[in-house]
Amino acid sequence: MPRFFDYYRQFEELAPEEVSAELRAKRDAEKARALTELPPLDLTSPAWHEPPHAEIVNAATFALRRAVNAYPDAGAQAVREAIAERHDVDPAQVVAGHGAGELMRAACAVLLGGLEDAPGQPPIPRPDEVAVAWPGWGPLPRLVHEAGGRPVPVPLDDHGVPHVDALIAAAGERTAAVALATPNDPTGGVVGTEDLLRLAASLPPHAWLLLDLALDGFGERPAPAGGERVLAFHSFSKAHAMAGFRAGYAIGPPGAEALLARLAPVGGVAAPAQAGMLWAIANPERAVPRRRAHAAAQRKRLATALAGTPLSFTPGAGPLVWLSSSQHSGAEIASHLAARRIFVTPGSAWGDERHVRIALRGEAATDRLAEALAEL
Amino acid sequence: MPRNDPTDTGGLFIGRRPGTAPLRYRTEPQRAGERRRRADAALAALVLTLEAVVCLTLWGPQPVAWLWVGSQVDYRADSITLALLVTFAGMMATLMITLGIATRLDRAWRILRRAAGHDQQQGMLPRIFAVTAIVALVIFSIWFWIIQGPSPTLAPTR
Repeated sequence: MPRFFDYYRQFEELAPEEVSAELRAKRDAEKARALTELPPLDLTSPAWHEPPHAEIVNAATFALRRAVNAYPDAGAQAVREAIAERHDVDPAQVVAGHGAGELMRAACAVLLGGLEDAPGQPPIPRPDEVAVAWPGWGPLPRLVHEAGGRPVPVPLDDHGVPHVDALIAAAGERTAAVALATPNDPTGGVVGTEDLLRLAASLPPHAWLLLDLALDGFGERPAPAGGERVLAFHSFSKAHAMAGFRAGYAIGPPGAEALLARLAPVGGVAAPAQAGMLWAIANPERAVPRRRAHAAAQRKRLATALAGTPLSFTPGAGPLVWLSSSQHSGAEIASHLAARRIFVTPGSAWGDERHVRIALRGEAATDRLAEALAEL
Repeated sequence: MPRNDPTDTGGLFIGRRPGTAPLRYRTEPQRAGERRRRADAALAALVLTLEAVVCLTLWGPQPVAWLWVGSQVDYRADSITLALLVTFAGMMATLMITLGIATRLDRAWRILRRAAGHDQQQGMLPRIFAVTAIVALVIFSIWFWIIQGPSPTLAPTR
């Protein structure tokens, strides 16, 4: 008889109280697990770690809802005028594109593509080298290669700053361009205004200066807008936190309109990106100074935490630090951090075995990073 | 089955319709064979019939019985107040007892239905209660208006 009733008891549903107790226990277990789980901390991306200013998103959303069926203004006239006003140049000297990187790719293609040799004639030697301050912006050597040129790495100085004298010395007959970033990615080193002007003035007459100013918003003083045979590339991905927009612009010297036109993307920049750029360029003071101060504070915080340890990084500006240890290789530092679910970029990506590049985020991330580095 | 987990619906909270929550058993039931399930289905029908009969007693036999008891009290104690009190209290007491029995029968019916292979979530007691009340009201109306006839002042029979 008990077996008879046991058969039917198995069809009894749980009481609501029992269901609630079971769900509560499940939730408590999840909460306890969440507390013990260490979330991964990705410090590899140079993009800003927070969303852009809400007005940028609003502007882009408005553009999306207005006339997204229509082609955008291919010439990005309003954006170029706003940029020109900000940098005190003529709008004809400005070109908007899909990020500083894409504009640099186009510049390499234009400067290194050149004319083909005449059939049956001996090849005419022409400038095909690009002197690149190295380590610098990672994809640049590949872009030079793809454009048919040859990248020539020029080491930085001891402080991680592009070495202006070395770049001048490296620029010769075959040099089509000299490229450097300031603040430099990955070291954060900043080239002074006087040095930049001196470099621009010292290059061979056929060589261009490609100035990567993607991290310019983090510098104490903005880099000079341009000069003769200087192309300055600006990004909205870092200090404006707009990496997802793929937006940037380049400024060239007066009279280089034809060259700049060849850098412009076919069909122009997307309307939402133009709207976001327009707001960002008109209101940089609404977010950029705060991010600059934040990045500087995080650099200082990490430097303070690492004082007295074998670890150090070069001084500079921006959210990227180029960290090394007197006792460990870059790969060892990266794997030590990865074991603690903190991911950084090993210096081997730049051919450097001693360093790692770390993209700083907020205070909590910096403290967790410093704590993990202290265990090295 | 609608997906109502916000992670499945792009962050939208889609509420589950009332009464559609899945049955939760203590352990997954081990079901018997087809013959046992058919026997359980027949047993479930029997229990449902019994439940209906029990509910029907609320609307006829029980009030009549308590009215008879009340009349006896009035006859023996010569107190209409006491008779009314006994009748009312008695009706309430048997109502509670009947509902208790009906609730247990309903639970047994749900279990038998599940054993018979149905995903039986709700009981039938509220519906049986309502249906038997309507049936009783209809029977009473037929008796009151047709069998017993309207008031003599409206349509005198003599």
